[in-house]
Amino acid sequence: MDPILLAVYILLFPGFLFLLAYAFFFQFLDRKIAARMQARVGPPLLQPFADFVKMLGKEVIDVKGMDRKAFDAAPLLALAAVMTAFLYVPIVGNSPLAFQGDLILVLYLLTLPTIVLFLLGWLSRNVFATIGGVRAVTQMFIYEVPFFLALLTPALMAGSWSITDIVAWQQSHLWFAVLQPIGFVVALIGLQAKLERTPFDIPEAETEIVAGPWTELTGRRLAMMRLTMDVSMVVGSALVAALFLGGPRIPWTITPDWLSWIVGFGLFFVKTLGVLLVLASIKVATGRLRIDQLNDVGWKYLASAAILQVLIVLLMNYWWVSA
Amino acid sequence: MTEVVVPIGPHHPALKEPVNFKVVADGETIVRLELDVSYNHRGIEKAAEQRDFVRVVPLLERVCGICSHSHTTVFVKGIEEAMKVQIPPRAQYIRTIVAELERIHSHLLWFGVAAHEIGFNTLFMWTWRDREAVQDMLEEMTGNRVNYGINEVGGVRRDLTPEQIQAALKRLPHLEDRIAKYRDMVNKEATMMIRFRGVGKLSKDDILKLGAVGPTARASGVDYDIRKDDPYIAYADVPWQVITDTHGDVYGRTLVRIGELQQSLQIVRYCLENLPAGPIKITTPRAAPRGEILSRYEAPRGELVHFIRTNNTDKVERLDIRTPTLANWTSVAVSLVHQNLADIPVIVAAIDPCLSCTSRITIVNERGKKTGEMTWDELSAHGREFYRKRGRA
Amino acid sequence: MRKPGSVLKEMFENLGTRPVTILYPKEKVPIPEAFRGKIAIRDEKCIGCSKCAIVCPTQCITMVANEREVEVKGKTIVRKKKPEVELYMCIRCGLCEEYCPTDPKAIYLTNAFSGAGPDKEVVVK
Repeated sequence: MDPILLAVYILLFPGFLFLLAYAFFFQFLDRKIAARMQARVGPPLLQPFADFVKMLGKEVIDVKGMDRKAFDAAPLLALAAVMTAFLYVPIVGNSPLAFQGDLILVLYLLTLPTIVLFLLGWLSRNVFATIGGVRAVTQMFIYEVPFFLALLTPALMAGSWSITDIVAWQQSHLWFAVLQPIGFVVALIGLQAKLERTPFDIPEAETEIVAGPWTELTGRRLAMMRLTMDVSMVVGSALVAALFLGGPRIPWTITPDWLSWIVGFGLFFVKTLGVLLVLASIKVATGRLRIDQLNDVGWKYLASAAILQVLIVLLMNYWWVSA
Repeated sequence: MTEVVVPIGPHHPALKEPVNFKVVADGETIVRLELDVSYNHRGIEKAAEQRDFVRVVPLLERVCGICSHSHTTVFVKGIEEAMKVQIPPRAQYIRTIVAELERIHSHLLWFGVAAHEIGFNTLFMWTWRDREAVQDMLEEMTGNRVNYGINEVGGVRRDLTPEQIQAALKRLPHLEDRIAKYRDMVNKEATMMIRFRGVGKLSKDDILKLGAVGPTARASGVDYDIRKDDPYIAYADVPWQVITDTHGDVYGRTLVRIGELQQSLQIVRYCLENLPAGPIKITTPRAAPRGEILSRYEAPRGELVHFIRTNNTDKVERLDIRTPTLANWTSVAVSLVHQNLADIPVIVAAIDPCLSCTSRITIVNERGKKTGEMTWDELSAHGREFYRKRGRA
Repeated sequence: MRKPGSVLKEMFENLGTRPVTILYPKEKVPIPEAFRGKIAIRDEKCIGCSKCAIVCPTQCITMVANEREVEVKGKTIVRKKKPEVELYMCIRCGLCEEYCPTDPKAIYLTNAFSGAGPDKEVVVK
């Protein structure tokens, strides 16, 4: 692709600038929907952006004896990881950086924020932060297996490890949300656990361990880490929308190319907002689980559902191939 | 694995008031804990000795914000008993109405806080929205949402006009409907059930041994409610029932409180509809004759006891307050061992702690400028020594 | 027949209804008449008996020397002192209003509920 166009794609649209704006918009919508469901008013449109700017200007408090450079670098590492992951998800048409295996790369990059949270908890020299960091990693071990399995079944059926190819496959066949409903549900629940939202906000349990690994984050570190979580939500929703809901494509072809791209972009909005609505509803409707209860629920129900889904996909592949 | 000391308090987002649990945890399981409840001590018992019966009532209102009517009612009831006067029935009914409205608002507040402690903020917002209806009723009747100021020795200070009674009766059906819905939600909502059931279980023998009172005790099957066992104000006239449950865990305590909410609404409706006519206060003598009175009351959190010693003056000689939360703290300390770290807020919230009520003693070594603790034997020996030096037997 | 309570149903119903928040100060908060608010003094009625100062639980009322003719029960008398209240020490219990012997009351509670200020020593005369 033309280098200047590539630079525009990465930096402006639909790259980083669009991603940041969309992340703020996502946070606003999430808070507004949750508030309205609870009979409250909710924040105005620019509230997440105002929060971000305010936090950048606040004092950064260092714990005595802490490794300051590592503590400064860790949130930036997490932010960089999720922002890079966004480039591989198709937003408008195909991603110019697509390659075979970019699905694995995206999944790997999306796990980095959790590991960074553990690192922050460990570096903080604070009891609550350490407990929170340990809980974050424990939670990751529990939900990561079903989540990965649920996101790999579309790849199994489409026969490709590239997200762009999976989206293209769905254009000529049915959406994977229809073909693999169990996988769809497991993927949504796994996404909620990855984003550490209720009922899976165990590492950040405010009433039990103050703020878990977030306790000693202040000022610009906190701003960057929260932005990471917002961007993570956008990337996760876009990924689920691409893998299960057909991404920015429609089952028919529209002849002027630019029109099909615009319609596809609009569909991208609609689909990711649909995923956000489901995630916000889950957050509002439940309370927090305990980590040992999550262990029960995760292995008994989520993992077995994901494995069941994989078996079904393998059987369906066998029948189609042999048919 | 090594044991870690997790300091829950005195400052912690789970606690509304300062209390110090020094928890020693092994991973996520609690090994042992120590409890320090003296952070909210304000010297109220001493201050009450220096105010006459008119000026001491606003002071006692402010022992606690949520059970403020309980403290004033039990005190003026005790003084009236010492003076051997009977207040008119209309005053008794008005006191009952405000007492039950206070119980409703306290239980709704508790319900929201318990939901918040398990991260279920939706129910917190909804119950506190419904609590606003109760606060509005109290504001119309007494002039304030907290610290109602309706009690005085000899009766109540304000009367209820017919318009106020009609307005209050109009608000009751909506509240009854909402509380019935919350009862359904508690029995069906998955995360609440999974976090509340089996947590903090105490058997009937444990409760009797540890001396817990209130909904904490009634959830384990102990049928102990002062309104039935030792009736005061209008409770003997109104038809109502004591709610008990056999689960004994946080789920049982939730069910008991929701049942009490429904009973309180019934009592309020009965009293509003059958309010007897007549005066609302009587003139009482200025001084109370010499005597010792033990006055008991069923506050929203349990049995509240005021020990009053009068000595023929217009002030009390000694006032001792034993709040229900003080009686319930040992049950928390016992039931927390071997539980999960994540269950601390749930179990603590299940007794509905009110630290402002509890902190009645703090030990200070003036010369050494250190704080410490005394065992029961040391305290008795100290007391005997103190009074011997002052020249009393 | 009462519909059973359900979290999910109520969540989605709430999406379509107005939030219950009163957008103070743009919207007005309804205050009942009998609300115990800021204290006020009717100078022309006070007879200087000092009952309010004696009964106040926080002792925030001081009687200052102030001579004035007042009409009470058809007769005119000269009162010698009148109360001054430290506004931010007043706990709004209403005992002064209850014990004031005049009618209408010389010291009374209005239903003004807001009233933060920068000066701690403000006095209501």
